[in-house]
Amino acid sequence: MLAFIFRRLLSGVILIAVISFLAFVLLYASGGDIARRILGENATAETVAKKTEQLGLDQPLLQQYWNWVTGALSGNLGRSWFTGELVSTSVSNRLAVTLSIVIGATLVSAIVAVVLGILAARRGGWVDGSVQVVSLIGFAIPGFLIALGLVLVFAINLGWFKATGYVPATTSVAGWLSSVTLPIVALSIGAIAAVSQQVRGSVIDAMSRDYVRTLRSRGLAINSVVYRHVLRNAGGPALAVLAVQFIGLLGGAVIVEQVFAIPGMGQLTVRATTLGDIPVVMGVVIAFAIIVVIVNLLIDLAQAALNPKVRLS
Amino acid sequence: MFRWKATAATIAIAALALTGCAGAGDDGSGGSDSGRADRLTLTAIIGPTSYDIGQGAEYGNRSPFFQAVFDTLLQKNSAGEIEPWLATAWEYNEDNTVLTLTLRDDVEFSDGTKLDADAVVGSLERFRDGTSPQAATLAGKEFAAVDATTVTITQDAPDPSLVNMLSIAPGLIQAPSTFDDPDSATEPIGSGPYVLDTASTVTGTTYVYTANPDYWNPDAVKYDNLTINVIEDPTATLNALKAGEANGAKIVNNDTIPEIEASGWTIESNELDFQGLLLFDRAGTMAPELADVKVRQAINMAFDREALLKALQAGYGTVTEQVFPATSVGYDEALDSTYEYDPEGAKELLAEAGYPDGFSIDMMSTPAFQTTFDLVAQQLADIGITVNYTDPGSGNFITDMLAPKYPATWMALEQNPDWQLINFMIAPEATFNPFHSQDPQVDEYISTIQMGTEEEAEQATKDLNAYLVEQAWFAPFFRVQGTYATDANTNLEFWPTNAYPSIFDFSPKN
Repeated sequence: MLAFIFRRLLSGVILIAVISFLAFVLLYASGGDIARRILGENATAETVAKKTEQLGLDQPLLQQYWNWVTGALSGNLGRSWFTGELVSTSVSNRLAVTLSIVIGATLVSAIVAVVLGILAARRGGWVDGSVQVVSLIGFAIPGFLIALGLVLVFAINLGWFKATGYVPATTSVAGWLSSVTLPIVALSIGAIAAVSQQVRGSVIDAMSRDYVRTLRSRGLAINSVVYRHVLRNAGGPALAVLAVQFIGLLGGAVIVEQVFAIPGMGQLTVRATTLGDIPVVMGVVIAFAIIVVIVNLLIDLAQAALNPKVRLS
Repeated sequence: MFRWKATAATIAIAALALTGCAGAGDDGSGGSDSGRADRLTLTAIIGPTSYDIGQGAEYGNRSPFFQAVFDTLLQKNSAGEIEPWLATAWEYNEDNTVLTLTLRDDVEFSDGTKLDADAVVGSLERFRDGTSPQAATLAGKEFAAVDATTVTITQDAPDPSLVNMLSIAPGLIQAPSTFDDPDSATEPIGSGPYVLDTASTVTGTTYVYTANPDYWNPDAVKYDNLTINVIEDPTATLNALKAGEANGAKIVNNDTIPEIEASGWTIESNELDFQGLLLFDRAGTMAPELADVKVRQAINMAFDREALLKALQAGYGTVTEQVFPATSVGYDEALDSTYEYDPEGAKELLAEAGYPDGFSIDMMSTPAFQTTFDLVAQQLADIGITVNYTDPGSGNFITDMLAPKYPATWMALEQNPDWQLINFMIAPEATFNPFHSQDPQVDEYISTIQMGTEEEAEQATKDLNAYLVEQAWFAPFFRVQGTYATDANTNLEFWPTNAYPSIFDFSPKN
């Protein structure tokens, strides 16, 4: 098991190295005149030239990449060209915000999806039908439309939640809940739709197995059978879908963060990429690559824990 | 069997979520012992690139961030008039090559160090030698501290824009104690009315300030706390407005004005930018047709400016045919009717110039302003000029324009005060004169404006403006309305010469 984890982490490091180089090359190729973009139209050509030199943008590509790598390996990811903030500070602060929303959305969607999936699988009939229809609707409506609708109804008209901004949980738990509830709901709806269908399918499949009939014939209540035995077996595929959803939610958070003006990774990424803020984009790329590697590793370990038949190799 | 734990947990979460609504809806009123209102919450469309004045000092839409923590040498009031601030007096010598400033002696930075002539000289040099957008405006000037409260600025030739510059970004004074500290990019030390609360601030998104308890001009400060939220998305700004989460907001899309006013907010406006065509290639290097003044005049006659204003800005703004702003001494309202919308007359003029069948011209376009570019092409096509558009790619619009890669372009530009405008768009070495067009008459006017007496300069500015309109160096369409919205609790007097209002011009309504 330790050998497995070690091999996984090693391949993760290689992956991150390759991704960082590709990202750097792409940024360089599409950069345009970044110094002019930073300074705007009022600056003279001399000031733009000075800025270009100061940022090292007149150096060859490989030289710039080497500068970045040596800096990154010693823990210095540089400063944003557009806000002056240390990249490591920006990324870690905003990661905390986005993760709080994405993890919240993952938990909410996991719980609701499991409940709905089991409900649909066990009750069947009109309950099953209506859960499927609701899922389909949640899946089909674009995330930003859901987000805007929620803002309009719950934040502006009813005033129950904040329309924009983020309050850290360390400042005020009530404020934090007020600012993350609508974003989490907006993000969850699409994920619930997908995962609940997966759970429903797995539960129906598991319920028809012989061991369920055996357990029932021994007098176990159906609820106990479902929660203690069926769920464990149905959990594998659902967990895989959830993992994909989690990574997807990181992307979906981009839109939600724009609509709710939340200072998370999504907002940072969009702004930095549009402006050509290379240090920040590189920091974001590295952060996301690390998250994906770790999440995939954790999911594999969880699958092994759920199902002893899975071999880690 | 009753799952009381789960139920209790659910009720607790619901209760917390509902009490969270108490956190929503911040407002700016509420008195305090100081006689000031509690908090002013503003939204801006862009944040500062760096609080180090050598890197990022900039007014425009970034002004409130710098005004909050730094003082400028001079200040502009809500009417745009220059007033004493850190400098109580300023005077030129005989030939306008030395400006002497007298400073206040009672100002300290927020870390307790004194703001004296050395600090001022240090800041001016830092700005001049740095890479902030307007660094070049102090190029070639020397600064000296004569004594603790006297500073001289020496230049080779008169600079009619210098005094104005000292009231905006170049005049910001930063504490020398932070000059060598890279953290000064996000943790500024200044002498301004507020101090940045670095713990509550999220760089790039929310900037929180508390009133400076030792500020030398406490009567000018009307709020104990200031929050500036950076919201780039216009829809999110609108939502923040409607949910009562701000006292003031910069509005980018003028077609949302009716919606904003319907929500009980007040609209203040100024006119700072113009949109139109810049007919760069007046010598005909790239497009020989543009060398003929009749062609450029014909282009000016091709546009139905009123209709363009309605189509592109929902009617907000003012039609114009001159690049000098209404606040300029050179402005003449009569000039705005020099060219009538007359496609037939334009075609005749083109035929006189030798182009009875029109011609084609290369220009740039970007998807962001597609409607504008389509309308421009359509109106030019009506007089026989075919526009070949090229999309320069994201971020290259200005670079390609200034290369220069095109003989003419549509653009939105700021109408700066006169000397700045001349050096920005008109002078042979101006940034937005990429072909370095030169005209002996224009040179003569520019020389008088720089070297002459005030009366001579004023007359020369009028003459220059009239000459440029007659020579059709540009084809302006209209001045754009710059819009700012304030809520029912807040009063604002919007100064005329900057995109963002002065933080000193906000006050609570009581």
